[in-house]
Parts: sequence; C-alpha cells; structure tokens
Amino acid sequence: MMEKFLQWLEEKFMPPMARLAEQRHLRAVRDGVISTLPLIIIGSFFIIIAQPPIPFLAELVAPYVGDIMIPYRLTVGLMSVYAAYGMGYSLAKSYSLDGVSGGVLSLATFLMMNIPLNVDGIMEEAAGAGIEGAEAMGWVLPMGNLGGAGMFTAILSMVVAVEVLRFMKKKKITLTMPEQVPESVARSFEALFPAGVVIILTWVVRVMLGLDVNAMLMSVFAPLVDLSGNNYFGVMLPVLLITLLWAAGIHGVSVIGSVMRPAWLIMLDANVAAVADGASMSYGDGGVPYIAPEPFYQWLVWVGGSGATLALALLLVVSKSTYLKQVGKFSLVPGIFNINEPMIFGAPIVMNPILGIPFIIAPVVTTTISYFAVQLGIVNGFTVMAPWTLPAPIGAWMATGGSIAAVILVLINIAIALVIYYPFFKVYEKKMIAEEQADTATV
Amino acid sequence: MRVLMVCSGGMSSAIVVKALKQEAEKQGLEMEIKAVGTSEFSEEVGRDYNYALVAPQVKHRYNEYKKAADQANVPCEMIPPRGYTPIGAPSLIKQIKEGAK
Repeated sequence: MMEKFLQWLEEKFMPPMARLAEQRHLRAVRDGVISTLPLIIIGSFFIIIAQPPIPFLAELVAPYVGDIMIPYRLTVGLMSVYAAYGMGYSLAKSYSLDGVSGGVLSLATFLMMNIPLNVDGIMEEAAGAGIEGAEAMGWVLPMGNLGGAGMFTAILSMVVAVEVLRFMKKKKITLTMPEQVPESVARSFEALFPAGVVIILTWVVRVMLGLDVNAMLMSVFAPLVDLSGNNYFGVMLPVLLITLLWAAGIHGVSVIGSVMRPAWLIMLDANVAAVADGASMSYGDGGVPYIAPEPFYQWLVWVGGSGATLALALLLVVSKSTYLKQVGKFSLVPGIFNINEPMIFGAPIVMNPILGIPFIIAPVVTTTISYFAVQLGIVNGFTVMAPWTLPAPIGAWMATGGSIAAVILVLINIAIALVIYYPFFKVYEKKMIAEEQADTATV
Repeated sequence: MRVLMVCSGGMSSAIVVKALKQEAEKQGLEMEIKAVGTSEFSEEVGRDYNYALVAPQVKHRYNEYKKAADQANVPCEMIPPRGYTPIGAPSLIKQIKEGAK
C-alpha cells in the first residue's frame, strides 16, 4: 500500500506542486525574498541584545533599547523595500531583461504606494510645548507598511512594474539610443517610458483615487497569514506538504517555502515588532502575535533536516547493517547542522516504503507538541532568525531570545522522533542485513 | 576538467563535492568541482565548464538548468539518487568521465 502511495506521490502529487513553485513570478518571490535573509538574520539578532535573557544584562541595556533596535528597524523593519528590489531584479532577469532596471522600477512602484508626510507643524508645536528633541525634519515616510506589513504590496509592485517593462519593450515603446551610446547608459533609458507609466499609474491609484492598496491587500491576506501562523491545521499543512515532497525525492522546503516564506517573514516581523514595543516573548495577549514563523519549523520540527532525521542518523550509526552504519557515519555530522540530503538519498528515505512512514509521522507529532508548547506559553515565541545550519538546541535558544524551555523541547522532540523512527528502522535494518548476508553468501 | 554542481542552497552539494574531490585525487584526475545554489546556476554555468550535474532533490528544476546549460554548450545531467552521497563518489566520477565534453 505504501508503495502505491509513494508512486502516487511521485506521479500525481509532485508534478503540479513543483510546477507551481517553478511559476515565474513565484520564483521571483522566492529569490527576491531569499536575498533579504542575510539582513533579516542580522537585524533580528539585535532583539537579543536589546532583551538579553539574563536579567542583570537586561537591566544594564534597558536605557539604550531604542538605539540598539535601530539596525532591526532598518533591516527587518524595511524588509519589503529590499524584497521589492530583489524580486523585481529576479523577475526581470527571468525575462532576460535588465535586472537592475526591473529592481529599481519595482522598488519605485512599491514606494509610490506609500504617502510621505510633513509633520513640521506638529513638531514645532511640540517644541513650543517644551518636548525635548522635537524639531522640524522635512518630509518623512511612515515605516509601518515598509516591513512585513508591506510584503504583499511589494509582490504586487514587482509584478506590475516588471510586466509593464516587459510589455513596453516587446511592443518597442522604448526610447532607443544611437549606437554610439554605451550599452549600460542605453539600458537605463530603456526603462524611461516604463518608469513614466508605473509612476503615473501608482500616483493615480494611490494619491488621486486615494486607494490604500496595502490595506486592501492586507484585508485579503491577513486571514491567510493568521491561518498559517496560529491555527493548528494551518501550521501542520506545510509540514505535511514538505515531508510528502521529500518522500517523493524533491526539496520540500524549497518548493513550499516559495509560497510560504513571505507569510513566515510577515509573522517574524510582527513578533519582533511586538517585543520591541514592550510585549513579552511568549505567545498570546501582551506577547508575540504568531506561533509559527519559519524558525518554529526550523528549530522545533526539522531537527537534523526535514523529517526530523537527526534521530534516524543516531539510529543508523549504531546499526548492525554494514551499509546502514556507513550511511549513519557520513550522515551524523551534517545532520547536526541540519543537512540531511546524504542520508535522504543514501539510506535512502526517498521512495522508501518503510522509512518514508516515520519521515512523515515524526514531524507531525513533534509539530503538534511544539505548537501547543508555544501556544500555552511554555516555550517562548520566535523573534530571531538564526542561520539554519546551527545545531538545533543552539538555534532554538537564539531564535526564542534565550528560552531554556525551547532547548529542552528540542531534546524532547529528538527523543520522540527516536521512538517513532525506531520500529521502522528495525524492520528496514533486518531487510538490509538479510540482503547483505545474501550478497556475501553468493560471493 | 571543470564540473559544476547545483543543488537547492549549495550546502548539501558541498558535501558531495568534497567526496568527489577526494575520489578524483585518488584516481589521479585533474578535476575542478564547484557547488552552487539554484539562483546562481544560470550565470555560473557560462564560465567555461565541461560538465554540469543536477542534484536529485531539485529534479523538478532540471529543464530550467538544462536550458541554461545548453545555451552555454555544457552537457548537463541528473545525479542518480544513490550517487548523491559521499559513498556515491566513485560512480559519480565515472558518470562525469563519460558525460563531460
């Protein structure tokens, strides 16, 4: 039966999922969003400096929290600005258009969806009332919709800007430069008419018609973000899809992440923003608003890589089968750093009717436990994006702003995965030993 | 001989590349192998390679890679699942020797 199921996975389930992830605009979202991750990893770390887990240090830095959080505000707090450029660049590249032009047009379209303000009048009044530091500052751009809250607007801006660029280039509605003009200069002029179109278009929509595109998009997508961040089944869905894709042999996180990562980043930004505004680090009222941004899966569920395979690596190392022991030996160290492809293809887990079962079940169980642990406030929510190649206990500790409970939960999850993998491992080991003995017998 | 390998993020392929290099050295082959992630492949493949290998977990992207490799006139093939492990290096070296131009 499991064989039939795996066959169905490979032939019916995987192709449409893979096609979806390879859709051109989603690919641009994936690559554009990934390009912002270094900034988000570094930026989110400042929350640990601002809110160190040791009370003594916390008191010490308390007066400087505002200053410490500035790198966060200009990285995570502006993530949609960076993403707008990165996605526009990637989409333009995928059409073999000039990447920089696509990125700049996309960024301009995105910024045009925000309205700058002049608060000099209020500032002067405040200064008159004796408020320290109040002074005229010229025009300011509110940052509220430039972070996670602007992600869907950034995606829409990227599509509009680059499609306009492509359409006008195709129809040859471009300013053509004489041949003597250097190529890079000529290319920048190619974007002149498309820039005029997108800027006038966004100006009419946002300013003249007064349509708050960001608010409209958020009213549509916010319920979906809530569903995937705070609903048990919504949190479970990516786990199932990712393990099923891996069981069929393709990189589940890469496929599902294309679609989910914007939502995961919105959740992370909302969580950090809440803590920066004085919320506690645990989930719920007065705490962080989302249970499951990406680090939730990374540290609590994918211990050792997708499928919670560190447990299996531990079992393989002590296997009595020569082959499996060998696989365990080369899988354990990468597994500690959450790289498990050598084991997935070596053991193999892919299309394996025995090991495929715990590969799906173990993460389902650990996700369930982890979900409730965070929901009930036993473990802190996630506010930091730590690099995914850190060993899980360290990553979990960092990502939760120093929650010891999170480290203990990681160890519990490894133990649970061990128990779930064990009987299947035993069955598979027996089969492998029988094959190995048959081999030596014939030699 | 210059070989390019692509996986999702360039992490797991680095492990296989390391094993390949050791095996190539053992066999006395002159071989330069580089691992890249998905987004870098189409640019990198244009830099004078003899052969391109696609990791099994990104097989759904094979056509895209193949197109880029064809443009650069580089032969491009999938790595069979069992070849994508440190102990798969000898069979992979064989594949490279047969497939590279």
